[in-house]
Amino acid sequence: MGKSYFGIFKMEFKGELQYRAKAISGIATQFFWGLLQIYLYSAFMKSDTINGLTIAQMTSYIWLGQAFFAMRYIVMGKRIGTEITNGNVCYKFVRPINIYNQWYAEGIGQKLASTLLRFLPIIIIAVLLPENLNLHAPTSFVAFVLFFLGLILGLLMSHAISMFAVFLTFKTLSEKGSIGIVSSISNLLSGLIIPLPLLPESIQNVLNYLPFRFISDLPFRLYIGNVGINEGLIYLAIGFAWLIVLILLGKFLINTALKKAVIQGG
Amino acid sequence: MLYKNYLKMHLKSSFQYRYNMMFITFNQILINISEILAVYLLFSQFNSVAGWTFYQSLLMMGIVYTVFSLTECFARGYDEFPKLIKSGELDRFLIRPVNIHYQIFGSKIEFTKLARVILGIVISIIAIVNINVDWNILKVLVLISTYICGIFVIFGLFVLSAGISIYTVENLEFLNILTNGSKELAYYPINIYAKWLTRIFTFIIPIACFNYLPLSYILEIGSIPSWLCAISPLLGMLFVIPCIIFFNLSLRKYKSTGT
Repeated sequence: MGKSYFGIFKMEFKGELQYRAKAISGIATQFFWGLLQIYLYSAFMKSDTINGLTIAQMTSYIWLGQAFFAMRYIVMGKRIGTEITNGNVCYKFVRPINIYNQWYAEGIGQKLASTLLRFLPIIIIAVLLPENLNLHAPTSFVAFVLFFLGLILGLLMSHAISMFAVFLTFKTLSEKGSIGIVSSISNLLSGLIIPLPLLPESIQNVLNYLPFRFISDLPFRLYIGNVGINEGLIYLAIGFAWLIVLILLGKFLINTALKKAVIQGG
Repeated sequence: MLYKNYLKMHLKSSFQYRYNMMFITFNQILINISEILAVYLLFSQFNSVAGWTFYQSLLMMGIVYTVFSLTECFARGYDEFPKLIKSGELDRFLIRPVNIHYQIFGSKIEFTKLARVILGIVISIIAIVNINVDWNILKVLVLISTYICGIFVIFGLFVLSAGISIYTVENLEFLNILTNGSKELAYYPINIYAKWLTRIFTFIIPIACFNYLPLSYILEIGSIPSWLCAISPLLGMLFVIPCIIFFNLSLRKYKSTGT
């Protein structure tokens, strides 16, 4: 059974690797955004440490965010939205596999491929940049291992949240609209618009326990040492618990939406 | 007038999908509000950036929202120019006895962006009420010309990136830096960035002319001569001329994609 989902994942992965020119152009864009953000937040921070975050940690956080940006965004997966609006989704009903799992595997495949295509060049350039702009090494080997675990959780979490946009599309039939709603909430609360460590502490105390920060904030903070090892392990456990809850909830919602879905011929 | 018909057509077609239109509008507002909230939170942590307060910075955001969305609403055709090339629609435009710019303007009018324009104006007003300025007639004129300058510059950028896409065909992501990059840059006073970036976005792409320069005249801060700051929006408007010339020259080299 798991083999068929792995097949879907592999197919999407290979398809994504075809678009190299797009990736190069994307890397240039990511690099520019990264620089812009670093200049901006450096201007805000002056030379201070804020909430225990130094400028060097901030620059590393920004570059990690740019390198792994493809997994931070809310996207539904390429064809899903059109499938729902044009009705082709009905072909998926007749296949003997779970539709949530199928979409989830598709999305993860696409996200992982575009991440793998883009992250290394940005990391390399960012390491080579002059002082005050560059990406630093992780604080320790254990921190790096936890960072890696956090990234896996982030990838899974990011798409578990994206699946709620799929559910909304059944209700609204507007792919753009559903993604917009889910991503404007998620982008703010996950630290995509502004890195969470730069926010007032009282707000951070709430956001730290919501599922959104596990998309990318936690792994990045583990990398820069802003979240310690012991604390990190607890957060990782909370994150995986959230992941299970969100997947179960997403499955339940999509299944109920499917029961009510009416295919209008065509 | 032909443009009136274009307007009518696009208005009718967007009202065909009223529910969808409302949904998209609601969405865009939500995205902007989350952006404003983020900036507010940032300022509540740091109080000021390079001497600029939240409301001073918010005025810049209000200006960008207003001018960018207004330009997007009416000049969306330039933004989606690569689509015209790929679909072959441009070939049809070229054989019609009507000016090409007129037709590009008419090819797409996005009324949903008007909600953002209103949001931009509301933010501007909130900001203006909350900053300390001794208003006089000259300052009001500078403020008005700032908005007009913004429209000219953003429009120039749209035309420029449409011109470049004649060579690249594909709407490559990095062209986004020109339009969206300039937009995000202008959320904050442009002098907070590194020197080289500030120079590029003052002398090459004159973002500063509807951002840092006129506002430092109105707020009476900064070290640049105030007469220069006052006329900077007028100078910035000139940016649109080379952009249109570039577009027109590029169009002469246009080879159809054959679709």
